[in-house]
Amino acid sequence: MKEHFTMLTDPRFCLSNGVTQRFGMGPMPKTVRLNREGFAVDAAVKKKTLVYPYMHLATHPAPGKGDLFSPIYGTVTDITERSVFVDAVEPDEELKKLGESVEKIDLLAREERGEDLVPVLKGLGVNTKSLGQKCETLIVNCLNPDPGVTWAEPMLLSHTKTFALGMEMLRRLSPAKRIVLAIPSNMKFRHRDVDIARVPYHYPASVNALVIKSVTGREKPEGVGIVGIHNVWSLGRVALTGYPLVETVITIGSLIHSGNYIVRDGSTIGELIDFANIELQPGDTVVRGGPLRGESLDKMDRSITKGASGLFIVESGTIPPMEGHSPCVACGSCSAICPARLRPDMLSRYAEFGLHDRCYDEYITSCLECGLCGYVCIARRPVLQYIRLAKEKLGLKLLKTAGVYAERVKQGE
Amino acid sequence: MKDATPTLLLSMSAPPYWHCGRTVFKRSIDQLIALLPAAAMAVVNWGLPALRVMCLAMAVCVAVEAICCWAMDRKSTIDDFTAVVAGLLYAFMLPAGAPWWIVVIGAVSAMLFGKMLFGGHGNNPLCTPLIGWAVLFISFPVHMDPNIVQTATSFIDPLARLKYFGVAEANAIPVLDLLLGHQINALGAGQVGALLLGGIYLLVRGQIRWQIVIGVLIGAGFPFAYLQMTDPAANASAVFHMCSGSILLCAFFMATEPCTAPAVSAGMLCYGLTCGLMMFVIRHFGSYSDGAPFAVLVTSLLSPYFDMIRPKPFGVK
Ligand code: SF4
Ligand code: SF4
Repeated sequence: MKEHFTMLTDPRFCLSNGVTQRFGMGPMPKTVRLNREGFAVDAAVKKKTLVYPYMHLATHPAPGKGDLFSPIYGTVTDITERSVFVDAVEPDEELKKLGESVEKIDLLAREERGEDLVPVLKGLGVNTKSLGQKCETLIVNCLNPDPGVTWAEPMLLSHTKTFALGMEMLRRLSPAKRIVLAIPSNMKFRHRDVDIARVPYHYPASVNALVIKSVTGREKPEGVGIVGIHNVWSLGRVALTGYPLVETVITIGSLIHSGNYIVRDGSTIGELIDFANIELQPGDTVVRGGPLRGESLDKMDRSITKGASGLFIVESGTIPPMEGHSPCVACGSCSAICPARLRPDMLSRYAEFGLHDRCYDEYITSCLECGLCGYVCIARRPVLQYIRLAKEKLGLKLLKTAGVYAERVKQGE
Repeated sequence: MKDATPTLLLSMSAPPYWHCGRTVFKRSIDQLIALLPAAAMAVVNWGLPALRVMCLAMAVCVAVEAICCWAMDRKSTIDDFTAVVAGLLYAFMLPAGAPWWIVVIGAVSAMLFGKMLFGGHGNNPLCTPLIGWAVLFISFPVHMDPNIVQTATSFIDPLARLKYFGVAEANAIPVLDLLLGHQINALGAGQVGALLLGGIYLLVRGQIRWQIVIGVLIGAGFPFAYLQMTDPAANASAVFHMCSGSILLCAFFMATEPCTAPAVSAGMLCYGLTCGLMMFVIRHFGSYSDGAPFAVLVTSLLSPYFDMIRPKPFGVK
């Protein structure tokens, strides 16, 4: 039995909020910072190069990782190991002509199916690793991934054309025999000839592994893959516009504000926060990603990149501060709340004292990285951070990169 | 030169960035609120001496914690108020007329051996207040016996009555008297009605686990009820037993201390049942008339074994 009192009645954990407002366009950025980690930048792109929207900037060696394109007219100001910086410029005639000469691609008219589609989509900036994964059944996770994020419902209910195109492309791309939409059980929704599974919609129900369990009734079943609705929507966006993907949908939220925007890849958080009319105070925390699993940012020139789910401002004083050294007081809240039935108190203690090996005996590989253990910790321990640290030290990949489940690596290898 | 826009200092931290708002401090406050009615009833029933014992115990506990933190060169932890809670609970186990030096010796041993030597709150294997109680109970049995210390009272000791005057006499004590704390007992443990109120408050606030409380109450109550059903002439009722001695105090406030109890539901239930059963065994067969505190101490030692009762983690076959 779950001890629900520990979650209290925080309404924010409901992942189905009845939000259906269509996404607004985010601001036209004055400067962008594109993530190029692992990418090989094109030879023609150097410092001071003039760029135009949809101009190809860099390629990733992995076939499932989409290429990098410029979202704006601008000039490259710097290229570092991790980022490409572009400052916006007013295009002159020549640059404008280049920008307008980008060819539109009619994806729907193309013949490719299955794996042949992968390079085409890569060339359009779409990540196909999870969309095209090999499996018998592919579940589309249509829940808002984190509490606070609200774009999943509008994607299904309001941007129907984009979503339908995304599903059409997904059917062409995916080797799966069956595609299932996992939608919140309270949602009225129909989609032509697609299976629908109604699943619980209270966080952590949106965590991929738990969605798979809700749909199939089994934990870690074979041959079942899962992809987020965000990816399907991106696919649909490309099919709709015919241009490479240079945008992503995020929720910008603070204590009182919440809205969904289509923002250009690489938009800096400073501009986005200004755009959303949120006033920052000293001591606030700015979070990229969901409020339970994301990362806090230190400077306003950090940027939103493809795949980020949101940008959240946590006002100082709204939660008890996390202090550096806070030993576990063995209150048991984390064990009571953990959806993976783990002992986060023991895991975090082992990690704290460097006994990472022992985390295996506490089943660290079963952790779903949902972050609830830290949410309920009365000592304000960074429990999830400790678990991620131990995973890192053990050579385990974090779920952000490894997918749905962590694999156990053999000890001594 | 100054920037056009002054730089804004953001705070960095680790996920999650939302929090349920519960902290150790708030839990201590909840516990103190829950203990307040019993403390008030203690003063009503026993007068200023009870207040004196409670204040002294709390003050000594806080002082010991502060000194230990200082000696260990650590940041002081007294601001989380756990020492105050431990001090008050410990005082609840003492007779109202306990001499001051007894209170001090017990409080110091409770904090030292029941908390600080293990590294502070949450690392103690045994319930902090009970350690102080046990040290005193074994070293100074005379000063700890409310029947000897508390002579100037019209109250009676229900357990002594049961032991020396028989069941009929014991059953003649009105339950309301027991609930209102009109009994010779430790100053807080006897305020049964007020403790019940406080315990329910903690349950509703989710600060203690119902599995443990229910386990203890069933584990102790069921055998007593069964005995009384089979032979009413020789056995007092379960309600009588619940309302005497320190069973309720232990069930709601001592056995539920999370760091000494298992962390998983099934384990907590087993732990509670075992603890309750031990209370019954010690009280019914043993030479101590109460037995509840010892039952909690012994069962806490078994917690690691109860912790082995746990569900399979996600996806583990
Ligand atoms: S992050 Fe891992 S350990 Fe913590 S509650 Fe979630 S599944 Fe459990
Ligand atoms: S919630 Fe925090 S303090 Fe409580 S047991 Fe877990 S890690 Fe320890």
